[in-house]
Amino acid sequence: MSTRTVRKRTQYVVALSAVTTLALSACAGATGGGGDTGSTDSGIETAEGTVEERAEQYIDQYFADSVLTKEEQMEELMWFVEAAEPYAGMDVSVLSENIPTHAYESEVLAAVFSDLTGINLTHSLMGEGEVMEIISTEIQTRTSVYDGYVNDTDSIGGHQRGDYIYPISTLLESSPTLPTLDIDDFIGLSFGTGSDGVIYQLPDQQFANLYWFRYDWFSDPDIQQQFEDIYGYPLGVPVNWSAYEDIAVFFSTQVNGDGTIDGEEVFGHMDYGAKHFSLGWRFTDAWLSMAGNGDTVFDPETGERTPNGIPVDEWGIRVENCSPVGSSVERGGDTNAPASVYAVEKYLEWFDYAPPGAQNLNFDESAPVVGEGNVAQQMFWYTVFTRATIDSPAMSDENGDPVWRMAPSPHGAYWQEGHKLGYQDAGSWTFMNHADEEKRDAAWLYAQFATSKTVDLAKSIQGLTFARDTTINSDWFTENAGDYGGLVEFYRSPDRVNWTPTGTNVPDYPSMSAEWWQAIGSAAAGEITAQEAMDQLATKQDEIMERLERAGVHDECGVKLNEPRDAQYWLDQPGAPYPALADEKGTPETVPYDELVAGWFEGNSYLD
Amino acid sequence: MSDTIAPVARAGAKGTYFDWKSWLFWLIMAIWSIPLLWLMSMSVRYNEDILTVFEIIPSRISFRGYIEFFSEPQWYGALINSLTYTTMNMVLSVAVALPAAYAFSRFTFSGDKHLFFWLLTNRMAPAAVFLLPFFQMYQALGLFDTTYAVALAHMLFNVPLAVWILEGFMSGVPRQLDEMAEIDGYSFPRFFLTVFVPMIRAGIGVTAFFAFMFSWVELLIAKTLTGPQAMPLAVQMSTTSTAAGLDWALLSAAGVIAIIPGVIVIWFVRNYIAKGFALGRV
Repeated sequence: MSTRTVRKRTQYVVALSAVTTLALSACAGATGGGGDTGSTDSGIETAEGTVEERAEQYIDQYFADSVLTKEEQMEELMWFVEAAEPYAGMDVSVLSENIPTHAYESEVLAAVFSDLTGINLTHSLMGEGEVMEIISTEIQTRTSVYDGYVNDTDSIGGHQRGDYIYPISTLLESSPTLPTLDIDDFIGLSFGTGSDGVIYQLPDQQFANLYWFRYDWFSDPDIQQQFEDIYGYPLGVPVNWSAYEDIAVFFSTQVNGDGTIDGEEVFGHMDYGAKHFSLGWRFTDAWLSMAGNGDTVFDPETGERTPNGIPVDEWGIRVENCSPVGSSVERGGDTNAPASVYAVEKYLEWFDYAPPGAQNLNFDESAPVVGEGNVAQQMFWYTVFTRATIDSPAMSDENGDPVWRMAPSPHGAYWQEGHKLGYQDAGSWTFMNHADEEKRDAAWLYAQFATSKTVDLAKSIQGLTFARDTTINSDWFTENAGDYGGLVEFYRSPDRVNWTPTGTNVPDYPSMSAEWWQAIGSAAAGEITAQEAMDQLATKQDEIMERLERAGVHDECGVKLNEPRDAQYWLDQPGAPYPALADEKGTPETVPYDELVAGWFEGNSYLD
Repeated sequence: MSDTIAPVARAGAKGTYFDWKSWLFWLIMAIWSIPLLWLMSMSVRYNEDILTVFEIIPSRISFRGYIEFFSEPQWYGALINSLTYTTMNMVLSVAVALPAAYAFSRFTFSGDKHLFFWLLTNRMAPAAVFLLPFFQMYQALGLFDTTYAVALAHMLFNVPLAVWILEGFMSGVPRQLDEMAEIDGYSFPRFFLTVFVPMIRAGIGVTAFFAFMFSWVELLIAKTLTGPQAMPLAVQMSTTSTAAGLDWALLSAAGVIAIIPGVIVIWFVRNYIAKGFALGRV
């Protein structure tokens, strides 16, 4: 290239850059930001006519499936139109993680809401990690980024002790509130309620961890016979970890003599173990409680025990008069007690029965693996995968029915009645104290719209993450329950209360949960033993709580650490931490799936 | 790659020549290209195929990723956002660095060496150090969630580098030139813009390239200083990670598109790159 052309080219580039910059800056100036990625109407077909006419068209087009009559729906929508008048024309933005339910809200509900109310509402989606990061930034700097968030209720212990959340209870009293919101209809309301009785977060979508298995393989008479010949008890839904382990060994190595079905190699277990922040969820989401560590709550009125331990919770944090006092056994906690070490050891052992490479996957990467069709069962399966699993071609029989089912997760050797059977949480609407008051009210209106009875059934059909009792018990889900592999039966069962989220004992979820994946990730990588990992974790949690105590950021229910004393003293006390069992395998036990589900449908517990 | 001057080695009895240097070159190129070709292949495949079938040549083709990218405002909007702050940053960094580099190159003043070194130390701090102060500062200025915020923040890293590179090029131009221009009656601005700048245009090209590249691939600051309005492409790409698995096809399509601006910039400055790596200090 001659110098001349070079010079010419350079001039072109410089000129072009300058022009582009100027043009784009002009656009930016006009929109008050970069290119406008605000709310779009691309998700819906915008209706025509007056507000009433448009509302009616939207009901017919998108919300025809509803627990309300069309008149009642119209009434709700017109209430929103009226309540939104003071906020018309505002730019309001909310943020949530990216799952099918929220994708539907972002595409359809946000656009309908914007069109009817005149509020320019953007519902952004990001990965769960990014959402947590932005919320942490808001809390640290007390500056508003988004006007509202949908976030799991794990942080409830921090929310009630800190002063940065604007509670839902206050919004219900002082901000425009839909008369037919029916707050008691939300099945997960207790998850976002502090130990002080204040509602801090309002459920938008709810999910649980269940046991997932290949119903078609489990009901194959030939496979059933093979299993019973080897183990001496029938193949069914495992009630405890002992049976789960037998089934895992059977499918990975023994079925049809060599661990194959139709000539394809199959695996008796699936899990993930990459040293990645998502590994923390695998454990903080109730794994230790399923193994049987922590305390249960005794209700003297009903004589029943339920989860979320007082005084010791599933993370192994002991609380006295709502103040956390320690996590390590020496301080009365049980994060490094025999039961939790057993929980981690089993998790590591079972990788032998999982597909190769499972140990190097993170949460997102592991999600679709069971849908590929060579895994027999997965102990710890999130119901948010239901939609994707239904859509997976390998997962339905010739009639289009699912070949898999979900059932209650089995429990470990230390488990007693009232311990968790699994984790259940609700992505919930969360508002900040330092937010712009008017925009927060506008975002609160959208939150009510996105959870209103007008839209909730239509939203649940899309996302399958039930937040309302009326939706679960709707005629639509009674008729279509068969398509969802046991999801509806689970939500209608009385056992559902044994699936609960992180409790209020955890004073600082973001910083404490970050320690879990690092400690257990090292154990998963084979660098340290399970006992060393849990010792390290318990020490770290105590250190974080010590810092919180010194900083004095929490007035009520703040940390007051116990002095360490001999571990044996605490092991000898009643309740958690429990001393080591001589036999951690125990007697294996299974139940036939069809009986279990029939019982659930009739409202009976399978545990009785 | 020149075949004509490569020494040849005898291979086989028939006297055919085996040009091992060529072979080595193409072998290395092939190994380097695998990830890129893989990305391109993934971007036109179906998600379920990506997860289940191992294939290098796609058996079924789908352009869903690209169609979604160019039909959804949050995707192409994010691309425009990224291009906007990157271009702005490139132009601003070079504009600010030119006079500064001239001063370092032509004048001695007390503390000039220290100042020059201090500029470079800005680049030594990890970006994470500046996150919270930046976040609060731009919030206070009302610039949060605008492309200006990212463009200005990236200047902290790009201006020192630009000054450093340009100073090297300028010092390669003899000082007598400045004096001759003065004798010929040129005013300083006229001399600087019409004589001096064209002489170091290779340096400016290289500087612009480095500034562009840093700003284009930087994620941490871009993520922290933006919200829904000015969301950069890299942040939008992180939204493909969902609780129901990754949307591989869309992510790969976005990845292919994200490479293109860099390729275009490299094409324009490819002749200067070699000089640039010597940073004018030849």
